[in-house]
Amino acid sequence: MPLIGTLALALALVLAGYSIIANVVGARASIPSLTASARHALWAMCAMVTVAVGALSTSLLHSDFSLEYVASYTSFSLPTIYKITALWGGQQGSLLFWTWLLTIFTSLVAFQNRRRNPDMTPYALAVLAGIAIFFLGMLNFVTRPFELLAVIPTDGQDLNPLLQNYWMAIHPPSLYTGYVSASVPFAFGAAALMVGRLDDSWIRSTRRWAIFSWFFLTLGNLFGARWAYEVLGWGGYWAWDPVENAAFMPWLVMTAYLHSVMIQERKDMLKVWNLVLIGMAFALTLFGTFITRSGVISSVHSFTQSGLGPYFLTFLIAVVVLYTALLLSRVKQLRTPAEFESYLSREAAFLFNNLVLVGIAFAVFWGTLFPVLSEAVRGVKITVGPPFFDKVNGPLALALIFLMGVGPLISWRRSSFDSLAKTFASPAIFGVTTGVCAFIAGLREWYVLTALSLAAFVLGTIVVEFRRGVSARRHMVGESVPVAIVNLIGKNNRRYGGYVIHIGVVLAFTGIVASAFFKTEVKKSVKQGDSFQVGAYELEFLGMNTTETAHVETSRARVEVRRNGRPIAMMEPAKLFFKRLQQPATAVAIRSTPAADLYVVLAGIDDQSGLATFQVFLTPLVFWLWAGGVIMALGTVIVMWPNVRERAVIAAAVRVPLPIQDDSQVVPGGD
Amino acid sequence: MRRLAKLRVRTAALIIVVCGIAFAIPIVVGAASTVSMQEVSEGLTCQCGCGLTVANCNHPNCEFSVPAREQIDGMLKRGMSGPQVIAFFRGKYGEKILSAPTTEGFNLVAWIMPFAVILGGGALIAITFGRWRAKAPAPSRGDAPDSSAARDADGGGFDAELRRKLERELRERT
Repeated sequence: MPLIGTLALALALVLAGYSIIANVVGARASIPSLTASARHALWAMCAMVTVAVGALSTSLLHSDFSLEYVASYTSFSLPTIYKITALWGGQQGSLLFWTWLLTIFTSLVAFQNRRRNPDMTPYALAVLAGIAIFFLGMLNFVTRPFELLAVIPTDGQDLNPLLQNYWMAIHPPSLYTGYVSASVPFAFGAAALMVGRLDDSWIRSTRRWAIFSWFFLTLGNLFGARWAYEVLGWGGYWAWDPVENAAFMPWLVMTAYLHSVMIQERKDMLKVWNLVLIGMAFALTLFGTFITRSGVISSVHSFTQSGLGPYFLTFLIAVVVLYTALLLSRVKQLRTPAEFESYLSREAAFLFNNLVLVGIAFAVFWGTLFPVLSEAVRGVKITVGPPFFDKVNGPLALALIFLMGVGPLISWRRSSFDSLAKTFASPAIFGVTTGVCAFIAGLREWYVLTALSLAAFVLGTIVVEFRRGVSARRHMVGESVPVAIVNLIGKNNRRYGGYVIHIGVVLAFTGIVASAFFKTEVKKSVKQGDSFQVGAYELEFLGMNTTETAHVETSRARVEVRRNGRPIAMMEPAKLFFKRLQQPATAVAIRSTPAADLYVVLAGIDDQSGLATFQVFLTPLVFWLWAGGVIMALGTVIVMWPNVRERAVIAAAVRVPLPIQDDSQVVPGGD
Repeated sequence: MRRLAKLRVRTAALIIVVCGIAFAIPIVVGAASTVSMQEVSEGLTCQCGCGLTVANCNHPNCEFSVPAREQIDGMLKRGMSGPQVIAFFRGKYGEKILSAPTTEGFNLVAWIMPFAVILGGGALIAITFGRWRAKAPAPSRGDAPDSSAARDADGGGFDAELRRKLERELRERT
């Protein structure tokens, strides 16, 4: 297996190199057979990387400890599921997994565009192959996944206990999918600059890829937060860790891009800005990888740290410099006569939304790198943690939520104060009423009051939009309300799917604010049979139960939860001891309801006194963070759902006949 | 009459939603209590190398965060304020223990820069808009916005874009 894997990676590197040359030469000299050959080389490259992934996975599953990677990240007793997920649990495996995704997406793009975008596609594929060359170069020469050990150990070192969790099985693949798929719109943006095709065809051709990337970045961030919530045992889900920040920044910039391209599609404005945004999003995905693997900034995600930092930094700088040079060379041609009439317009609202999103991304970037800057300037390494990010991003988040309510309802070109008053009266009244009710109910934190009011305002605007659409369909088509809602979403999926995403964002935001401000913590040491109070809940420690497998020893506490004297749940927080690594870990117990989460951690057990120490968090409304995430995902699926009319528009936009076609005619097709 | 009935339905719906919120909020507020222990330990960085705050360090038997939390708790119970506790730890371990930059000297740059960039971006947008506005032809009378929010005046409350889509849909059906 190691030999097969090594040979497959070497061949993949050669094929990627050939593909770049064949694509560029074929496109420049108009030799269709050469570009077709380049495309086939990319498919072969994907097949080779798949063989390498298969070889490593087989070695992991069969505990082949002659491989350094297998010996470092697995053991005989590791459950099979984690032997599979160990593929992305370590440095070399995660790079291989990343490369695999990249080659799959590159192959898909080559297939999708085999009869479309004949002018741009070879250059876009060359860019994607260029990115693949970097990763394959790393895997072949710097951090080899098939490195053999001189002495074969009797057992492996095992996987980090923090990674032995089902969220870890899906969090990295989701995030990597989001990161890697951002390469596709970037490659087409770069290709558009290279060939000088500066209309919005590159945006239309890769719109679904951009949404796909955003979808997986959203899921990746959410799954990571859920992993932190369930595994790290501190009652929170987001610590503004550098690696969390690195995953959050591309999401912010991609969100800005998805809004900004609407202006280009509608008004033919912001061409330079959109190219800047997609370049920035791609560069931030590389920056995230650099942060995770360089060890330049200390992080809880230390399991993939290595000496790869300088390589990633060099590649990142090269990408930024080349792309910037390309963009500057076309900047005059990208300038179009822009029309702007009023600040009271949707384009203005979208631009300010972009400003805030990119502003938050900058604040996160700045805070993440400031310790390095401080050390360079003052010689003092300081920490920039949650208090900084909360204080800086808190007000910006409010501005963003406000603009999220205003943007979709305001007119393109210009709007009058009268029409604004008419459009926003009901949502504004709803928002203010919510704030007043919250104040009367006893809330005094200005931030929470503002956040709740704005959340209600945005929900109000969405309800107004849905009501208008449903009324229109009822009035003109005579449909019943449920049918009208379904048809409204189905026939205008981009617009109404977007509103569904906004509902999800508002709910998640409400959950974040409530859980940040009103989380309570109780720490108690109790004997068996003793009870203690946490908010409205009474918790009784019933006793301990210890189980043991070949892999892990589990000490599980049984805690009965009562409310108003009535038992409502049995919770079982545990302490785990991973035998191979000789490492302890915590398994929290969570009782989640829409009102609040009861989160119980078994903090310690004193065998002599019989005392068990529990750390209990009562976190209101945190349920809505996850529910909001699910709604955002649902909204994204609605947005991405194939729309026949839109496919026809895309096909019309991307059809540019070539003098000679290699193996096919130019025919319409969607992405 | 129909308008009055509609108004009543809307008012009733608004009252129901507002009452729902009014009932829900005390559940949230009821959970609130003093979080000074949490606040103080959020203000300090764990020195075990995890990179998290003392409040968030996830190592079950951490040699730094576990005793530090006990120490903070004891100091607060003895009547020390949050800033006093933080000053004590800063005196003992130096600036690196603080989980956010101070607001003095070079550290001030950390706080100012994000807002300066956003203000700069806002100014750039304003200047660019000003130029575009100057170039744009003046809107003539009756030149209505091409908006989805350009509402019909028939009281139906739906927009021109939606109307166009629906008309197209109806044409395609027949």
